[in-house]
Amino acid sequence: MTRIALTVNGTKVTREVTPRTNLADFLREELLLTGTHIGCEHGICGACTVVVDDEIARSCITYAVTCDGAEVRTIENFDEDALMAKLRQAFSEEHALQCGYCTPGMLVAARDLIRRGEARNEESIRIGMSGNLCRCTGYMGIVSAIAKVARAHNEKAEPDATTRTLGPAPGPDAPDGFATESMASAGSAKPVKAKAPAVTPVLDSQPSANVQTGEMTQEGKFTKLTQTITVNHPREDVWRYMADIEKVATCMPGVVLDGPPQEGHIDGRMLVKLGPISADLAGEADVARFEDEWRGIIEGKGRDTRSASLASGRVEYQLAEAEDGAATQMAVSIAYSLAGPLAQFSRGAIVRDLVSRLAGAFAQNLEARLSGRESDAAPAAALDAGSLVFSVLWDRIKAFFGKLLGRGSD
Amino acid sequence: MKPVAFEYERPRTIDAALEHLATAPNAKILAGGQTLGPMLNLRLVQPDLLIDITRIPELVSVSDEGDALKIGACVTHASIEDARVEDHANGYLRRVASGIAYRAVRTRGTLGGSLSHADPAADWLSALLVLKAELEITGLHGSRRVGLKKFVRGAMETDLSPEELLIAVHVPRSEKTARHGYYKICRKTGEFADAIGAVSFNPGSGGFCLVAAGGSEQPVTFESPENLFSQGDPLDPDSFDMPMAMDALREAGMEADDYELQVRAVAMSRAMQDAMSP
Repeated sequence: MTRIALTVNGTKVTREVTPRTNLADFLREELLLTGTHIGCEHGICGACTVVVDDEIARSCITYAVTCDGAEVRTIENFDEDALMAKLRQAFSEEHALQCGYCTPGMLVAARDLIRRGEARNEESIRIGMSGNLCRCTGYMGIVSAIAKVARAHNEKAEPDATTRTLGPAPGPDAPDGFATESMASAGSAKPVKAKAPAVTPVLDSQPSANVQTGEMTQEGKFTKLTQTITVNHPREDVWRYMADIEKVATCMPGVVLDGPPQEGHIDGRMLVKLGPISADLAGEADVARFEDEWRGIIEGKGRDTRSASLASGRVEYQLAEAEDGAATQMAVSIAYSLAGPLAQFSRGAIVRDLVSRLAGAFAQNLEARLSGRESDAAPAAALDAGSLVFSVLWDRIKAFFGKLLGRGSD
Repeated sequence: MKPVAFEYERPRTIDAALEHLATAPNAKILAGGQTLGPMLNLRLVQPDLLIDITRIPELVSVSDEGDALKIGACVTHASIEDARVEDHANGYLRRVASGIAYRAVRTRGTLGGSLSHADPAADWLSALLVLKAELEITGLHGSRRVGLKKFVRGAMETDLSPEELLIAVHVPRSEKTARHGYYKICRKTGEFADAIGAVSFNPGSGGFCLVAAGGSEQPVTFESPENLFSQGDPLDPDSFDMPMAMDALREAGMEADDYELQVRAVAMSRAMQDAMSP
């Protein structure tokens, strides 16, 4: 617990909070100010909009601990506010609410819009209010209520306090409450975990020229994509190299095998990092190779314990001669699916980018190893690649990221 | 929809922040939290420690360095939108800032946070690429400056190492006659962009730079893109050659289908119109 001191609706408040408590929960549950509503709880809907140091903010993605020393105003604090009184009246006259759930956020945001002189016409009102969603879809009434008040509101926006911080409120000048002192003691003295070997799949900022990514398609719960990797070594050599799962694994960023493969079965893990998100997938895979067809299949599944998400996938590769036998073209098709909390979010295109970069790193490492240039092989130092050729890893990775990333808006 | 439990530190100096970064495994830097917050709530990110850097005075300061403006990493989009930070790029910075997400996000979201997250659909990335912005990064072993183009290595991936902190953005001062344009296409106002076009045209120095971005991969930068104009005259945005632009994007390695390429080319074309409109 961390002790914070802030002003809420004009009253000094001191409380113990856990750092993860968001401002909305703090206001509602700690101070019983239930006028602030929580809708999406990830910064999309605007229902939780409050005022922090004179600027509107989303209280669901603002943590109470960061408001230590700030001045917070909620919908309950605008009874005496002349502009808000006009808005309340107009909302009533224009039928700007049905269920009323979004209304506190709408009013706080609308007052701010008018105050800043940005409610000039219907278009600017609609743009200015686009961060507040009304599930009853009562936008016509809301917009006309705001327009009505804005038309009659001739006052210039209150001059901005020029002394205010240029950063997020409350900024460096705010007192520290009691935050720092109790923070250390708050220590549930968490065991310090070993720093995960961060895996950065990319070696080079430019997409590798020898990797081509095809289109992504969806078949049932599986996302499929194909990739073509060209390596400047004869097919025989590449095929032989690909037979050694442990070696191949070292070409794949972030993979660690638990041990040597047992009859085509491997256990291992793969750490993937994308922006602030990292997934540590533990799993197993089976490898099959069809000698006469120059074809291999890897099928696997893995689980990220932290997010309790499951990933499964299948990678198939086929080697063909290229450049009169001097090079090899590896056609890879990947299918993956993801289940669990991470599966709800998707920005597939970012995954495609990541996959293509991973493939680029893999191709580069493979090329270096085949040429006996160990030193040129990935600064994979951090990641002691594990086996799984592309399979397990890939799928997962993709799977993962695919879904992980996309958080709707803002 | 609640984040995992994490510890919280609020250093008052850059050095203290770096100390925390160096000693705490699985720590995340928290600036405005407008991207990290949703990710925390959705448990996509599960840190052991958040290091709040918004109360470090240097990070919320702005200084005029003559040929460039040094903007602290924690300066919010709203501070730029409201002209509380000088716009030495002929109004361009204000225009870009005012179009980011929603006001309640802009009041807390920061310039440095946006750039270090390097989401290809984010505004500042493309907008500042054409201005040749440089980033000031510091770590326990010293500071360095890196051009934005080099800084971004891919979607959500940057040159920043886990022990380093982005502390400021240096934005070169624009020529008085410079024209900058910006246009983004999104299905809903304030949402992540499907496509972004940004352009900077500097008659004095002859500098001309055009950037196209989609929602997924790192932006493509064209230096001296005169050949994308059928008359070779960038001052006439109507002569922007769409099919040629689509080909150029494809050649630059942008992995997108025809529709996506076209949307990006349209964004580029509208950015040109924005730059050339009086």
